[in-house]
Amino acid sequence: MKSASNISLNRRMLLAGAASTALLPVVGLPRVSFAQEDVVKIGFLAPLTGPVAAWGKPGLDGCKIWADWANEAGGIEIDGKPHRIELASYDDEDDAGKARAGATQLIRENDVKFIMMLGGNSWPGVEEIAARQGMLFSTLLPSDLTPDTETLIAPCEVHPIYNVTGVDWLAANRPELKTAVICAQDDALGKPSVATYLAAFEAAGIEMASPPLFFDPATTDFAPVMTQLLAKNPDILCLDTCYADYVQPLCEQAFQQGYKGQIISCTLDFYQRIVERTSKEFMEGVIFQFPDFDDKALNDPRINFKKPNEFYAEYIKRYGATEWSAVSWEYASIMDLWADAAQRAGSVEPEDVLAAMKDGGKGKHAFGEARWWGKDLFGLDNALVGDWPVVVIRDGKATIAEFRSIPDWWDKNSELLVKHMKELGQMWDQRI
Amino acid sequence: MPEKNTIGAAGLFGILILAAVLLAVPHLVSFSQQELLVFLTINVLLVVSYRLLTLTGEWSLAHVVMMGVGSYGSALYAKNFGFPVPIAMLAGAATAGLIAALLSFPLFRMKGFYFLIGSFAAGEVIRLIWKRFTDPFGGPKGIKRIPGFPEVDLGFIQIDFYQPENYYYLVLAVVLVSLWVLYRIERSRLGLTFHAIHWQDKLSESVGIDTFRHRMLAFVIASFFAGLAGALYAHYLSTVNPNQFDVDTMVYVLIWTIVGGTTRWYGPILGVIALTIIDEVILRAIGADQIRPLLYGAILIAAILFLPNGLESLVIKAKDALRRREGVAVEKVAVRKGAG
Repeated sequence: MKSASNISLNRRMLLAGAASTALLPVVGLPRVSFAQEDVVKIGFLAPLTGPVAAWGKPGLDGCKIWADWANEAGGIEIDGKPHRIELASYDDEDDAGKARAGATQLIRENDVKFIMMLGGNSWPGVEEIAARQGMLFSTLLPSDLTPDTETLIAPCEVHPIYNVTGVDWLAANRPELKTAVICAQDDALGKPSVATYLAAFEAAGIEMASPPLFFDPATTDFAPVMTQLLAKNPDILCLDTCYADYVQPLCEQAFQQGYKGQIISCTLDFYQRIVERTSKEFMEGVIFQFPDFDDKALNDPRINFKKPNEFYAEYIKRYGATEWSAVSWEYASIMDLWADAAQRAGSVEPEDVLAAMKDGGKGKHAFGEARWWGKDLFGLDNALVGDWPVVVIRDGKATIAEFRSIPDWWDKNSELLVKHMKELGQMWDQRI
Repeated sequence: MPEKNTIGAAGLFGILILAAVLLAVPHLVSFSQQELLVFLTINVLLVVSYRLLTLTGEWSLAHVVMMGVGSYGSALYAKNFGFPVPIAMLAGAATAGLIAALLSFPLFRMKGFYFLIGSFAAGEVIRLIWKRFTDPFGGPKGIKRIPGFPEVDLGFIQIDFYQPENYYYLVLAVVLVSLWVLYRIERSRLGLTFHAIHWQDKLSESVGIDTFRHRMLAFVIASFFAGLAGALYAHYLSTVNPNQFDVDTMVYVLIWTIVGGTTRWYGPILGVIALTIIDEVILRAIGADQIRPLLYGAILIAAILFLPNGLESLVIKAKDALRRREGVAVEKVAVRKGAG
């Protein structure tokens, strides 16, 4: 009997144990559940491999620093509770199909609350998902915006409109330059940028020495491209928004073919390598639009990007000086904007955050207060636009020359920009 | 020895298992893998149609562009001319076949390496036309907001083909029918003629076979099915642009075909399935996103070194081993009976 009693007790214990285990998810895991609620996942959907990786991977690296710093400081406080930030990334290879699979994974499997994209080729694959899921997306390329893309914002880089500031500054500081040539890869990134430069040159009274030269993105030999560009002996050589893989050989070709004039470009990624392959003298005075964040000008009180110099130092420490690119800080600055809006909204839900972001029609852009704008060009005011730096190479180092206002230029020259955008078929109603 | 044309009990059992797997697989994978499954199924049609062309001994570098012709054609028929999507898909595929027929005249004046280069040039011309002419092709940005496959409302059930699991079944049905047609073509007199042209084109001509017309026919049929794959792709993704059909994508088709093998119809299917799973599922799952091209390259080199006849050689070896074992078993039974 004793043994039977023992068996009975054991069975009871076993049953009780099984029942407790079964009930654990209901009654026994409030702390785990609480911990899970305090994590916010942010999606990163951009090219991490392939020819456009230079505009994806450095951005993810920057976001990792941002997230580490935010978490070390106790997380982001939303609705009175600290939330830890987790990044979930997916390499879309700049392909719409991969982006669709990536967006599905990030939204339905990783449960992210916000997704940052490079945009461009990949966005059309995601557009319908964004609309159906009501997910908040950001793009670096506002040419993705149309009146229907209500949950898509361009809160950092209003590419290519900010390029007007470089031309505007050049015209003011070197009025003797009167002719220009421009080249770009023949793709969705090159064309709107060319339209913007053409408008900026026209506004500045600079004539085009030859029509824009569009080369195939598969081009590997840039000698004939440069020869054709330099044939008219232009005062200004504009490299538009060429990919990093094109800007470097184009600069090398200009150097080798003895060009002595002014170079202006949207980006100059990994410019130290170009300086090494050409010379400091050749690169002196080259204008582009993306500063190094060790620049003291970024410590100005109006700058909203937090601790830019420390961010740059940490980036260089983690990834190396030659890895800094145009996008290294951009996605991180978008996270700043998102965190600020989420705190004000007291929620991480996409629609609440979007409403808080656009509240009052103004937002805290990395380079100062800015306004939500874009209806005339993109069909809706989902691009955050304000001041943008003009960066000049001085003694082999990128230096901010001045911050210039994009809205001021737009207010004076909007018709010119619309005209050139239309001519190249880049207005939103020509793109759908 | 001629291959068997009948299916045994074991074969039937295998087909039933395969059918069950194909039907169940969307419910066994994650949401994002359902998306990949749709693209993978479309790519199966792409590589099998490519193999049909290689039967004549010619390797084209324009096959992905032919897929693009189907995509663009179907998109334009549906978006600009208001064709119902299923009709637009067939019309897009037919357009790819028609373009292939036109290209045949200059291309099949060449053979071997020259045909390869010629097909590359022809494909690039088509791609540049898409880029250059914004109207109607959309230029570098391509065509967006392509109408999707229409919803089916049967009253008691609504099927939304934007959902990957639903579209997968549609694609699966189209691809299975296409594979059956391609299989029947290969096993027909026409397919045997393709093989004959591959191995003995001069001898084939000497017995009255018109090699030009047969090569052209293979090119047209292969392009039609590539175009159909393109149409399925375009109406799922809602967008097409010239970069999706560039030489990089063609290199993937070549790799899938070569790694899978081309002597059996299922070789390229093995290649595309194995490499897609490795690249898109395993390497991503282990967090190797950024070094995927490196690992993918290493796997390719290993496959070519250790499986020079493709993954299909594993299946052939397994079949041979199975037959030998069956033969030994039959012999043993015979010996026992003899001893008895």
